[in-house]
Amino acid sequence: MGESSEDIDQMFSTLLGEMDLLTQSLGVDTLPPPDPNPPRAEFNYSVGFKDLNESLNALEDQDLEALMADLVADISEAEQRTIQAQKESSQNQHHSASLQASNFSGAAPLGHGTNVAATGISQYEDDLPPPPADPVLDLPLPPPPPEPLSQEEEEAQAKADKIKLALEKLKEAKVKKLVVKVHMDDNSTKSLMVDERQLARDVLDNLFEKTHCDCNVDWCLYEIYPELQIEKESVKSVHVRYNLIRGKVSSCKVVPQNFYLDNRGKKESKETNEKMNAKNKESLLEESFCGTSIIVPELEGALYLKEDGKKSWKRRYFLLRASGIYYVPKGKTKTSRDLACFIQFENVNIYYGTQHKMKYKAPTDYCFVLKHPQIQKESQYIKYLCCDDARTLNQWVMGIRIAKYGKTLYDNYQRAVAKAGLASRWTNLGTVNAAAPAQPSTGPINGTAQPNGQMPQAAHSVSAVLQEAQRHAETSKVKPARPINGTAQPNGQMPQAAHSVSAVLQEAQRHAETSKRPSPAVAKRPPMPPKRHENPGTPSGAGGGEQDFMSDLMKALQKKRGNVS
Amino acid sequence: MAGMKTASGDYIDSSWELRVFVGEEDPEAESVTLRVTGESHIGGVLLKIVEQINRKQDWSDHAIWWEQKRQWLLQTHWTLDKYGILADARLFFGPQHRPVILRLPNRRALRLRASFSQPLFQAVAAICRLLSIRHPEELSLLRAPEKKEKKKKEKEPEEELYDLSKVVLAGGVAPAVFRGMPAHFSDSAQTEACYHMLSRPQPPPDPLLLQRLPRPSSLSDKTQLHSRWLDSSRCLMQQGIKAGDVLWLRFKYYSFFDLDPKTDPVRLTQLYEQARWDLLLEEIDCTEEEMMVFAALQYHINKLSQSGEVGEPAGTDPGLDDLDAALSNLEVKLEGSAPTDVLDSLTTIPELRDYLRIFRPRKLTLKGYRQHWVVFKETTLSYYKSQDEAPGDPIQQLNLKGCEVVPDVNVSGQKFCIKLLVPSPEGMSEIYLRCQDEQQYARWMAGCRLASKGRTMADSSYASEVQAILAFLSLQRTGGGGPGNHPQGPDASAEGLNPYGLVAPRFQRKFKAKQLTPRILEAHQNVAQLSLAEAQLRFIQAWQSLPDFGISYVMVRFKGSRKDEILGIANNRLIRIDLAVGDVVKTWRFSNMRQWNVNWDIRQVAIEFDEHINVAFSCVSASCRIVHEYIGGYIFLSTRERARGEELDEDLFLQLTGGHEAF
Repeated sequence: MGESSEDIDQMFSTLLGEMDLLTQSLGVDTLPPPDPNPPRAEFNYSVGFKDLNESLNALEDQDLEALMADLVADISEAEQRTIQAQKESSQNQHHSASLQASNFSGAAPLGHGTNVAATGISQYEDDLPPPPADPVLDLPLPPPPPEPLSQEEEEAQAKADKIKLALEKLKEAKVKKLVVKVHMDDNSTKSLMVDERQLARDVLDNLFEKTHCDCNVDWCLYEIYPELQIEKESVKSVHVRYNLIRGKVSSCKVVPQNFYLDNRGKKESKETNEKMNAKNKESLLEESFCGTSIIVPELEGALYLKEDGKKSWKRRYFLLRASGIYYVPKGKTKTSRDLACFIQFENVNIYYGTQHKMKYKAPTDYCFVLKHPQIQKESQYIKYLCCDDARTLNQWVMGIRIAKYGKTLYDNYQRAVAKAGLASRWTNLGTVNAAAPAQPSTGPINGTAQPNGQMPQAAHSVSAVLQEAQRHAETSKVKPARPINGTAQPNGQMPQAAHSVSAVLQEAQRHAETSKRPSPAVAKRPPMPPKRHENPGTPSGAGGGEQDFMSDLMKALQKKRGNVS
Repeated sequence: MAGMKTASGDYIDSSWELRVFVGEEDPEAESVTLRVTGESHIGGVLLKIVEQINRKQDWSDHAIWWEQKRQWLLQTHWTLDKYGILADARLFFGPQHRPVILRLPNRRALRLRASFSQPLFQAVAAICRLLSIRHPEELSLLRAPEKKEKKKKEKEPEEELYDLSKVVLAGGVAPAVFRGMPAHFSDSAQTEACYHMLSRPQPPPDPLLLQRLPRPSSLSDKTQLHSRWLDSSRCLMQQGIKAGDVLWLRFKYYSFFDLDPKTDPVRLTQLYEQARWDLLLEEIDCTEEEMMVFAALQYHINKLSQSGEVGEPAGTDPGLDDLDAALSNLEVKLEGSAPTDVLDSLTTIPELRDYLRIFRPRKLTLKGYRQHWVVFKETTLSYYKSQDEAPGDPIQQLNLKGCEVVPDVNVSGQKFCIKLLVPSPEGMSEIYLRCQDEQQYARWMAGCRLASKGRTMADSSYASEVQAILAFLSLQRTGGGGPGNHPQGPDASAEGLNPYGLVAPRFQRKFKAKQLTPRILEAHQNVAQLSLAEAQLRFIQAWQSLPDFGISYVMVRFKGSRKDEILGIANNRLIRIDLAVGDVVKTWRFSNMRQWNVNWDIRQVAIEFDEHINVAFSCVSASCRIVHEYIGGYIFLSTRERARGEELDEDLFLQLTGGHEAF
């Protein structure tokens, strides 16, 4: 919620800032032309990223060509959109005006000869959660006229429409673009223009489409800082702006699930030497992410901390809490009141360190780094930590991600799963986008991408898994009672006055179930998925129409399949 | 009819005399004597009693209590024989609902009429319905702790006792909402005040009181509380509660279902209060940083509830309104003659330019503050040697987007500094801006805060931010006569905000008030935008995120062990904890539990988990009934689903938690 209103404010100020441009393009030429090169844009680039020019230069020719082809496609699309819009408003003059505006202001912030930035939005805009401040959507339309409009009103209406459209164009044009280089698994690279509003997830989708790989949820983007030798897994919902310098796609596991299981799995296995079954996994996930607050995994242990400015490492006992990472000061116990705060998560991101054993003489190679995303050179504000083994590293990194991002991780995962299912379903129906051009430079990403002929199968398995997962989720809800009534002993076996609740519970449960489900046919199907996690106000609820549409579609598909099979 | 006599006065049927006292278990009470037979129905007996008393009164709530058997005779169609009542039975004819004083989670006392004859579970459900708290299954009643003998006669401050004992709720239907509160509260000013007490957070407690209240010093102290829970399956009367007794109402099971600020104002507030007191009385431990966040939230919540900003704008996003307004404004402007100056004021982003003193801490330099000409435009701060050099290159330019803004203010010392931690690729740049007065500080501070969030001073919230900062500063000023009249006492800055009422006593000992205040205010920055309900929810969530949240401690002795240990019961697991060290020895999850049994004779609970893991322990600090009820209760709560709505499967609850009488 807070974020969205912030967005709105931001958009609002952007709008205000661009109004001079607007008025100019609309023919009000009383204002001087705005400064074509606002310092802010320059500044941002020098802070955050490689200069666009530089990154364009760095590209190889064929990459550049491919990129240009993309851009041209985008441009023509953008123009089509404009024309469509124009039809609606049926104002001829307006078309050129808005285009002019977008070209002009688009080039301005970039400050380079290339006018690539004026290409309008990417084709993935539709996949974005509808930006709350999208002027077209949110503008208060004048109430629909019940009677024929007078000419004045008509004019006013037309003008209002025009303004809206122009504002939208302006907004699009102002959005910054970056060129990122994506390293594939087969050592090929691919250049991609990303929009700062895009989410890492959208970039992934983009890549999926371009490379024809399965839309598996296990893919993720990695950002790499060669200077610091660190890399970071992108959070699917964080804007690319913060996330991408040079991305690398690698086939690592994405979301909390795997970790969680891993983490818990270890704890359990210590005691039971047995892996958890899927049902338990689901319930654990639900328990951790779907309550009123996030349960941060209980993590504690000794880690090595690099001392400021030195290449020496000190061993300390660290604990993870929802509010940050703490350590146990010398001579103190690990009770809450004695803990000292090491770092809090608001302003830092977490990165994996690579080869820090060589670079910083780390005790092991399992390092992670906490730093503000804007710091890109060595500094005392970067914290280096080192774990004993890969598993501990993984636990800490995922634990910190859970503490920092909370439920978003889970929501992203759910969305990814839904999308993957949907995407494969589309493939299944034979609606593959035939227009996707063959890219000679990009091979199959993990070497196992199937020819299209095999996709249906994969699709089936994905959605089958999905279905199963859902079923698990459904059963897990009744679960607390189930293991009990499964082994109910006759009361007679209990020692004298001993009291067994199991039989009672079993009966009650049966009673409850039958009373809840009137017809036996329905009773066979598990009840609807647990509703617990549908907290009002959480991102899943507020995600907007697109997501709802997704889930509705998924449900419909599943239902259909359920009936057929 | 019972009581047929011969002419000589001998009874010829098998009737006998039954003496029934009228009133509440008072041996001096008046009594009536009836002639009954074993076949008399309870209903008939009731009728006779009323006839004999011969007083005009509403007797509908009265029933007979059998003292020796500790049992109500509620089945009116049962005969005396069926109950097994003989002439020596001591029976009392008294009301089923009697007044008790409830100590609410917010520590206020409330008198109301509770059912003494229904199982506690139902009685609590009725109380919660009266107080409009949803999901009563999460709450229960505790006996009040026994008061220790006071050494000296302390004058307890006379506290306000709210009274709801006259309010009667119509059964069955959900209470209608009237004037923003359930209709039964809107009858009188008195009940209305009571609703406000229930639904609005209380001001911070007196720090002195906080220090006096008992706090647990060890894990075994924490087990004390849980020995006082009343039994859900028996009625209050059976548990020895008398009319007028004090009982505590608390959330017992830490599994809060479907918490919704819109429909649950009382529930949310009481939960917040319970969480707050848990933290203040150190029932649950947290770190210093966490305590500051809790304190900031309390301060914010208190501020909002004091100013009466309880209601929220109905659902509309203020940001959206701004956008709408701006756009319609824009349309008007373009429509009209579009005077340039108006457009200018709309389009140009306001700037701040002024002489400020700047300090940049660097290694190996001892330079102090230096005067610079500072220009703050959009989100960028530039400074120059003097105003004349302003068109040229600045000494330094900092983009404040994403930076950390820390106030460093001492109002009484007239020190108004802003500390900025600006991240850059090279690392953090630290810079201090020193302003001359409050006005200047408020303008720059507001600008910095907005810039750190990526917004400019053109943002609609700029003006309100400036006002908020000014208001804040005036809060820190000494209360009555302004800074001049008061000597700079130790807590001169703490008048507006007494930090000691917001933190646990151990922080009171650790920090001075003037050390605490800035830290709380710093934390407050992050929560200042929240509405009352959001802030309460955030508080509760932060509480739930504490590692020790929701664990009820019981002292037990495991089978085969020689020493006492602690059993922690949480909503999803059982935890075996070492009593001396406090370390977790082992955790069992309910999801792996197959069954549990209670042997009431030897007070032992035996639990079987998957993989044939068996655990047995006897209970030391509390009765095994309490442990049994906790486990059953959590199992019950995990079976709840939204589809079922508010309906409670009471039978299932009682079967899971009660039941030793049944065998």
